[in-house]
Amino acid sequence: MKQIFSIIAISLLLLSACKTKDIAETNATETQTDQLYACSMHPEVIGKKGEKCSKCSMKLTVPVKEDAPETTIADTTATAPTTDKTSITTTPSKISIKGLLDPYIQLKNALTKDNSNDAAKAGKALEAAFKSFDKSALSVEQKKTFDDIEEDAREHAEHIGANAGKIAHQREHFDMLSKDMYDLVKAFGAGQTLYKDFCPMYNDNKGAIWLSESKEIKNPYYGKSMLTCGSMKEELK
Amino acid sequence: MHVIKKLLVVLLIAFIIIQFIRPVRNKSEQVLPTDITKTFNVPDSVLNLLKISCYDCHSNNTNYPWYSNIQPVAWLLDSDVKNGKDKLNFSDFGSYTKRRQQSKLRSIASQIQDNKMPISNYTMIHSDAILTADKKALIIDWSNKTKDSLSSLN
Repeated sequence: MKQIFSIIAISLLLLSACKTKDIAETNATETQTDQLYACSMHPEVIGKKGEKCSKCSMKLTVPVKEDAPETTIADTTATAPTTDKTSITTTPSKISIKGLLDPYIQLKNALTKDNSNDAAKAGKALEAAFKSFDKSALSVEQKKTFDDIEEDAREHAEHIGANAGKIAHQREHFDMLSKDMYDLVKAFGAGQTLYKDFCPMYNDNKGAIWLSESKEIKNPYYGKSMLTCGSMKEELK
Repeated sequence: MHVIKKLLVVLLIAFIIIQFIRPVRNKSEQVLPTDITKTFNVPDSVLNLLKISCYDCHSNNTNYPWYSNIQPVAWLLDSDVKNGKDKLNFSDFGSYTKRRQQSKLRSIASQIQDNKMPISNYTMIHSDAILTADKKALIIDWSNKTKDSLSSLN
């Protein structure tokens, strides 16, 4: 009898162990003494880690390497996709992705305001819009393109919806989602004027794009702390 | 006193009964053609880390601990494994679209970087699954390189 009770006790202990919440978030701080850092917006300003840029007072975050001009990578991706303009005009205007773009824009606007809860709501709305999207008007080829984008985009929308309160995680998925939405607009047309904007700093200075309904730059990746940071790269119709 | 004794007996009987309700085990000897090792180049050093730290919940082969034979432990494990495989399954990685593969590879890197994965309630029991800074760097580097090789294809 005693043995059985001890087994129960052990299994209960294990159960409670499984339920304890994630507390241990270690801060991996890497300290390199001799490494110099540059400002991500003004690469010519160089100093030690933690110092601020003399031009924009942002922290110096870009490690200075002597042989790797990495910034050019971001620029080529941003300027490349302007060749397939013809496909936009040939797309029948019957197919409208407005139902998908509206919640995306809401999501983007919530992130520019650092509002994680509204972002989650918009994420859920976008996920629902993908689920209920009517694909009957799509040709076989179009459906293939759409399904490919949807499989990825829907999961990002779902994640953003499920992570209210964790805005950094939402923004990470918003980055990947924005690429999907851009491809979607390229394939099916926006039905309205949209702008493809670019933030050079996000994602360890690899940069990230977003779509906006207004010409004015409002950065969804950094919100209030850097609202007007970024540049317009392309106008989409 | 009698009431307590009866209650304990009832609990004991319930405990014995639930021992017979066992979820299907996540075990498969078969390697699918869509396994990550069939679709991408995964060096042994990285694969070993993935197997120890990730495969219990993110593959078709869970390495079950002894106490998973005691219910309701197996039920909880089962739901964790299902959830984990739903998000990412290395045994079926090749079936994802290129687009989704890229997203997953990026998420692998960032989750490990931020110490979100492997989750702490897993590493509490499986201390061997804890990734040291070196091990983290190894997986993140592989993940980023694989992702970049994919994006250059498009």
